[in-house]
Amino acid sequence: MKKYGLVLLATLLTLTLISTSAWSASDSIVIALGSEPTTLDPQIREDGGERAVNDNIYDTVLTRTPMGDLVPSLATAMPTLVDSTTWEIKLRPGIKFHNGETMNADAVVYSIKRVIDPDFNSEQISFFSTIKDASMVDDLTLHVSTNGSDPILPSRLYWLKVVPPVHSKDPKFAEKPVGTGPYQIVNWKRGQSIELKRNDSYWGTKPSVKSVQYRFIEEPGTRLAGLMAGEFDLITNLLPEFTKQVPKSVHILGLEHPILILNSDKGVTKDVRVRQALNYAVDKEALAKGLFEGYAQVAQGQLLSPSFFGYNDKVKAYPYDVAKAKKLIKEAGAEGATVELIGTSGRWLKDRDLVETVAAYWTKIGLKVDVRIFEFSEYLNRLFDRKTRADSIFVAASNELLDADKTFSAYYKKGGIGSSNTDEKLAGLIDQARSEIDVTNRLALYHQAVKLAYDQAYFVWLLNIEDVYGLSKRLDWAGRVDARLLVQEMKVR
Amino acid sequence: MGRFIFWRLIHGLIVILGVTVIVFVVTRMVGDPVQVMLPMESTLEQRAAFEKKLGLDRPIFIQFIDFVEDISRLDFGDSLWQHRPAMEIVFEKLPMTILLTVVGIGFACIIAIPLGIIAALRPGGIADRVTVFGSLLGLSVPQFWLGLLFIVLFAVQFRILPTSGSATPSHIILPALTLALPTLARLVMLVRSSMIDELNQQYVKTSFAKGLPFVRVVGVHALRNAALPIMTLVGWEAIRALAGYSVVVETVFAWPGIGLTAIQAIEREDLILVQAIVFTAAISVVLINIAMDFIYKFIDPRLKLI
Repeated sequence: MKKYGLVLLATLLTLTLISTSAWSASDSIVIALGSEPTTLDPQIREDGGERAVNDNIYDTVLTRTPMGDLVPSLATAMPTLVDSTTWEIKLRPGIKFHNGETMNADAVVYSIKRVIDPDFNSEQISFFSTIKDASMVDDLTLHVSTNGSDPILPSRLYWLKVVPPVHSKDPKFAEKPVGTGPYQIVNWKRGQSIELKRNDSYWGTKPSVKSVQYRFIEEPGTRLAGLMAGEFDLITNLLPEFTKQVPKSVHILGLEHPILILNSDKGVTKDVRVRQALNYAVDKEALAKGLFEGYAQVAQGQLLSPSFFGYNDKVKAYPYDVAKAKKLIKEAGAEGATVELIGTSGRWLKDRDLVETVAAYWTKIGLKVDVRIFEFSEYLNRLFDRKTRADSIFVAASNELLDADKTFSAYYKKGGIGSSNTDEKLAGLIDQARSEIDVTNRLALYHQAVKLAYDQAYFVWLLNIEDVYGLSKRLDWAGRVDARLLVQEMKVR
Repeated sequence: MGRFIFWRLIHGLIVILGVTVIVFVVTRMVGDPVQVMLPMESTLEQRAAFEKKLGLDRPIFIQFIDFVEDISRLDFGDSLWQHRPAMEIVFEKLPMTILLTVVGIGFACIIAIPLGIIAALRPGGIADRVTVFGSLLGLSVPQFWLGLLFIVLFAVQFRILPTSGSATPSHIILPALTLALPTLARLVMLVRSSMIDELNQQYVKTSFAKGLPFVRVVGVHALRNAALPIMTLVGWEAIRALAGYSVVVETVFAWPGIGLTAIQAIEREDLILVQAIVFTAAISVVLINIAMDFIYKFIDPRLKLI
């Protein structure tokens, strides 16, 4: 028996050595992502895993501060307007790609033309759809022209990763990315990991983390276990329930807004009083505390976070007021009416719980609620159905451009892909704002649009979800409002 | 023998074709990859362009004719999600799943056969009762939960094994154990009952009577006769592991095999990749079955293969 005991001990010790050797270095970190990139070409796919890695390899013309303000990156200053459809960008001199190619106006023009080329068929095209062309002025200056005036162009440029004109034609480019960013690729073992090391000749501030390994773990429970076992330093999408178990957690207001789209043309929700009542009926504070353990803020009557362009700080959330809601329902003669509520399950954090809780609140003010939870693909059929709109549809809208135009065009504007109203005035404001170059005027237009939609209660605005990350004890990082995982902002103690 | 192989292959082909046709129809009926793959706020025009690019705007029977042509060349086309040939992905992931299955089933056999024999030697004895109780327990535990339990125990509490991944040999231990447990439990029960049957046969008594060593009687003569049902179960379990359990186990342990890929392909409505995976799984099932027939013949030469 003693003999076997020793054998067992020896085996365990060996296993421990094998399993710990990989992550012992003190200034290298391991980040667990939910999915593996399908490619490391930064311009072709709409892929969260790819973005998480390439955000560290590539630079963009403009970047954002952790709080969301646009600032120059490869550019020396913010782009300026030459005429209403042409922007001028001036670039920093002396920046080189990891392979020695020079970053200049030629490279940026090339990158723009590459991503908007219809034959290239980029899934990211919705971010660049307004760009018509780009041309070089001199070695460090270029012009970008747009179809009509496009005030959001600077926000779009934050999505434009600059690729090297020569190396990007290499068929291996999708596996061996080369950028100008603070990190460069070491290797990509498909199915297992991607490793990056610090670019020691980086033109900006030198990052403190020397190397980073990405692992891909779909199952949230396994990611959590890996963090608690000390294998990972950072995991994404930590469930609010687990914030107390992990060594450290950070949370920051994210881009996601769960809302309910109300049909203002037909059915019981056609009456504005009913739509307002549906807003008054829901206790948003309780949703934030009860379902998200406080890791969510009450949405202030608009599909925008405070950091987004267009946010109207004069509009506040509909207060929780059951008496008022009941009164409005009575005035509208809608007592006992049935409201259809469409949702899905497992796509967004707590999507089903939100829908069911809202249904319970609505039942309290004397309505019948017909909750229908669909599988995601069938749910999308309902959400995007342009012919018959359900009374109310749940959706968690996300806005990566941090600008009102994207979500307003999709959900607020008449004819938008997920819109349930036919308000000409609202659509007019959104169209006008889309091409208004003057920042103050544009902001004023969105303020009007926000107020109009709020008064008409075209939606039930619920929450603005916080992103929650689990961190190892040794890692310091504060998170970003745009949810990017920039390793250069992380520090190892 | 030649005739046997020929007919088995014909049968196999019918199975494989049937499965792929069903998959083709079902995947196109239940989901729409265009909606799932593009960003939510994409416009109707962008959606239409994307659908056209995927070739999903064509009538379904034209798509089907293309599909049959593709199958005959063993080329399913590019995965909608990964944009590289679906078969390339399958061939990249399949070895990982085969490795996991072989280690898992091998482990189950190594433990289950001796344990079953020990239990059968003295039915109703303490060893027997403990074994039966243990295997019932093993059968009742959901694999998903078991995997997470192993992770919490061995990786988080004791920190002797990694939680997930596949980088070193130690990474295979927990997923293989998780995969093995239900197989092990079923196998123990079967070894036990077939050995009890054999050990009560007259030839066993005769062997003992004429003084053959205990190990030879039990381990060679009796076990060989009990081997047919055992092999049937092992083959069946290998099929279930390859085409079923691997989905759960690989997801929990982030093991980059075909099961995890199947889940990811389904989530992303990647029709092409799902078809390639189901096709490969169907082929594996047919091949394992044919292999089992040969093993029967090897174990019991009296069997006629038809």
